[in-house]
Amino acid sequence: MPVAREIIAPQNDKLNVSRNLKLPHSPGIRAGDFIFLSGMLSVDPTTGERSPGTVAHETRQTLSNMRHMLESAGSSLERVVKINVLLYDMLEFDNMNGVYRQFFPKDPPARTTCGVQLSAGMKVEIECIALAG
Amino acid sequence: MSLARIIVPPASRGLDMAAGYGWPQSTAVRAGDYLFVSGMVAIDPASGERMNGTLTSEAHRVFQNLKLVLEGAGSSLERLVQVHAMIYDRIEYDALNRVYRQYVPNGPPARTVWSVQIIDAFRVQLDAIAIV
Repeated sequence: MPVAREIIAPQNDKLNVSRNLKLPHSPGIRAGDFIFLSGMLSVDPTTGERSPGTVAHETRQTLSNMRHMLESAGSSLERVVKINVLLYDMLEFDNMNGVYRQFFPKDPPARTTCGVQLSAGMKVEIECIALAG
Repeated sequence: MSLARIIVPPASRGLDMAAGYGWPQSTAVRAGDYLFVSGMVAIDPASGERMNGTLTSEAHRVFQNLKLVLEGAGSSLERLVQVHAMIYDRIEYDALNRVYRQYVPNGPPARTVWSVQIIDAFRVQLDAIAIV
């Protein structure tokens, strides 16, 4: 029997960025035992607007939104197996890590961090693969 | 019992970057129900020639090639779950999206767009995870 493929959306509609901005991706896909999330940015969960700021601020807001997204799908940050962090400048690596550690205090997931161009002047984008529920 | 790891050769010879270009990579690897596809660039699937062009023309070619690889492995564009869309410059983000919508119009996969340098001056590269 083929593995089921199901679209995942956050319970908070304001965080459904791809739908709100009509972008051609889904917030996440559940396929079998895994959840695959799209890259997430710092978005204000009360207004749905982008919330740019320092790398520390954007990291905190993005991971907080990621927690919501995963929990909406019955998973959690503790179930993340791989994360990719995209930073606008690798000089800010330590600033990202300072906040990142607070979200993954123990046995953190595998991770890759790259310095890349991001959209709309944002400084941090984070995507992940997690175990489903 | 551990999962089998199966190398899936591309349906079209030109897409075999190991054979044609000597790159140390398989086009796709199947592990259980999942298919992991290498970063794909705009290559003529028959001849293996590079088809450098605009981001739009390259993106069409890459999606058509990805379709060949996925269908050759018993999957499809509709079974994509996560894509890394790499583009050479963020300024082409909308150009990418316009092509992208045509190939995954409904229930598109999770995606992150990375602006990076791509080998051989290609403007777009897609890597993907799909279910079989």
